[in-house]
Amino acid sequence: MLLPELFALLASDLFLLLSLLTCLLEERFPKAIPYVYQAAAVMGFGHLMVSKMFLTVFDAEMRFWYNLFYLMVGLANIIAVNIYFAVSQKTWFLARVWSLAVTFPTLLISTFFIYNYGYLQAATGPISTLQIILMISFAVLGVSVFVLFSQKILEKLGWR
Amino acid sequence: MFGSLKLKKPTKFLILLLTSILIGAVNAAIFYTLTMESQFLVSSPVIRFSSAPDEPSGSTVNDAWCMLNATSYPNATLTYEQALYIENTDGSNAHSFRLRHLDVSPVNGTATVGNWSSIKFMVYNSTDFVCSLNYTVSGTDWILEPSSGETNYYSVPASTSWWIRLETLSPATATTGNTCYITIAVDVQQ
Repeated sequence: MLLPELFALLASDLFLLLSLLTCLLEERFPKAIPYVYQAAAVMGFGHLMVSKMFLTVFDAEMRFWYNLFYLMVGLANIIAVNIYFAVSQKTWFLARVWSLAVTFPTLLISTFFIYNYGYLQAATGPISTLQIILMISFAVLGVSVFVLFSQKILEKLGWR
Repeated sequence: MFGSLKLKKPTKFLILLLTSILIGAVNAAIFYTLTMESQFLVSSPVIRFSSAPDEPSGSTVNDAWCMLNATSYPNATLTYEQALYIENTDGSNAHSFRLRHLDVSPVNGTATVGNWSSIKFMVYNSTDFVCSLNYTVSGTDWILEPSSGETNYYSVPASTSWWIRLETLSPATATTGNTCYITIAVDVQQ
């Protein structure tokens, strides 16, 4: 059985990942950004503690929505960094690598867990939309991994 | 002093890595305790008993169990029209329940069993009869109807209450002051 708190755990790990990656790319970000993402990950700890303390008070639907909201914030930050690379930094190659290595995998994993949660809870809602997102993410990930490691295709596209 | 303090990139990354591992491990541990708590959570029953207008005096009604202190009269059927409510507290989903016989006292073969003719627990929804679990007496033996001692499962719509109508009847030869105890379970399908 999937708990809604899995989304908070996942989001917290995404913030930790963002913290480490922005530290590695610290020349392109304000100095405080890695620490801000660490603080955001600590908020995930707060989320989980609130869930633990109020487990009998909050119903499953409420827990699902506030944990999903936290996950959406995490995913929005990943997409925002991607857009930041592409637009303000004009580092197209980095933006592409980020989208292939971080954005789409995290979208894929998040959508997978949300879809599984909805399926197990017999939820009615945009499940078919989630399935479509899942399929698109999976297809893009598969193609992009192939392209990324294929020298000839990169040369033909003029990306090298 | 602090203005000149500047961490080198590897050192900064190492510190962030260590704190990330710590935060990740703590979150995973809390999540694990949540999963263990969820497995053993005792919650209010989704289908529960509640008091009804014709509840026998002296009865005790709780969410998951009740004790109806009913009376029966010789040669007269006493009806508690709405003795007990069976309430589906789930606002979104229907849930199914059944009545199941657990125990009756005095037991079969006891002479005092003959002080009762029938005790019937009949379930009604807002319009119709649904099912019943009846105890009738033949000689000094209780006869259950259904013979299996359990009704089928019936689905109660969300936020709906059904009621139990209780009928008691004693034979003309019944003596006063005798008491029988019937224990019925209400099984709920989540």
